Amino acid sequence: MNFKNVKYRLVAAAVASTLLGLSACETTPDSSALLEQARSAVTQAESDPNVTKYAPTELDRARKLLVNAEGAAKEKGAKDQTASHYAYLTTQMAHIATQRAHEQVAIARIKSGETERQKILLTAREAEAGHAIAQARAAQAEAQDARSQAAQAQAESQRLAAQLENMQASQTPRGIVLTLDDVLFDTGKAQLKPGAQRSLDQIAAFLNENPERHVQVEGFTDSQGANEYNLELSQSRADAVAMAIIQRGIDAQRVRALGYGEEFPVASNSNAGSRQLNRRVEIIVSKDEAAIPGRATGVP
Amino acid sequence: MITVNGIRNAFWCAIAFGIVACASTPMPVEKLAVAKSSIERAEQAQAAQFAQVELNAARNKYAAAQAAVDKKDAQVAARLADQADVDAQLAESTARAKQQEQLVTEMDASLRDLRNEALRRDNSGTAMPQTPAPLPRQQPVPQQP
Repeated sequence: MNFKNVKYRLVAAAVASTLLGLSACETTPDSSALLEQARSAVTQAESDPNVTKYAPTELDRARKLLVNAEGAAKEKGAKDQTASHYAYLTTQMAHIATQRAHEQVAIARIKSGETERQKILLTAREAEAGHAIAQARAAQAEAQDARSQAAQAQAESQRLAAQLENMQASQTPRGIVLTLDDVLFDTGKAQLKPGAQRSLDQIAAFLNENPERHVQVEGFTDSQGANEYNLELSQSRADAVAMAIIQRGIDAQRVRALGYGEEFPVASNSNAGSRQLNRRVEIIVSKDEAAIPGRATGVP
Repeated sequence: MITVNGIRNAFWCAIAFGIVACASTPMPVEKLAVAKSSIERAEQAQAAQFAQVELNAARNKYAAAQAAVDKKDAQVAARLADQADVDAQLAESTARAKQQEQLVTEMDASLRDLRNEALRRDNSGTAMPQTPAPLPRQQPVPQQP
């Protein structure tokens, strides 16, 4: 009895499971829901202009699959697997079309982005070139400025030279040098003769006009006589000339007097003529406010 | 009327019909091959990373299609192979789209930086660096045949 009961139950379970399996087979999803899904997927893809532009082939495939699905549903009924199958394929194909379109849109954007990048770089380079040109122009202007300054300086020195023309002035690295002759002094005396007046007037006028400049007055003798005496005489004569300049309204700070005696001869001292050349007073006018370079010893 | 011979004839007829029926629905070997190559393309397009769900669906259906072939169920095998194929195609196209969209995002950021940099340098008058920040290049995704 018990045994029989177990056997009975086993049979019942087998029948039940078979029925269950059958019913599972029976409840294959109704294709109408899948069909509806497929239709809306195709409609959605069709409404996207990027899909019609970039994935027309895939969209066409989806449409044809949808026709197959609709046909199968009509012919074999909603329960038929064929309709569901085609509906599924339709939905997937519509999605594929959409994804293809997304990909192509992105690729197009990357392309235009590359163009944009080139444009930005080009603009930046042009701006850079503009800066460079501006800098070059500035440098050019500066050079022009320097040139015109040099030209001005040259014109100025020419003007000065012209101003000092009558004073036997000469341009030297130390400045403008003006030599006063021995004849402007009596022999052995430091008293300046009236003949020097005109030259001194010109120098004073020049210094008034160029307040940044200053002068150094240097006295020299020939080699005749004692060295000490010569030094003293040259100093006295330089002092006399310096004093004459100061008396013409030039600040004493701008005038310096030095006696070199028989040093730095400009001629041989071997005859009267050359000795007379050595007896002289030189007035050196500075180029600017800077100090006048000293004499290099041993150079005449 | 029904003779043994007749029964025998009917038997052979049925056998022959069965064979013909079997021959008329061959196993969808070609469909399976198509699905397989679609899956491979999807894998090359890095679908495992960018379209995992779709790729898994394709792989599962491909396996089910093979199982159906083993069970000699040609119709089910054919359908599953077809579905595996579209699933794989969707996996591939989704992966490609996502990757390109990612590149677009990177490019937008890079362009924004470049614009700011250009603006800043334009204002300060200094030169752009000789090697500007590179844009993401398009990755060599294998193309559809």
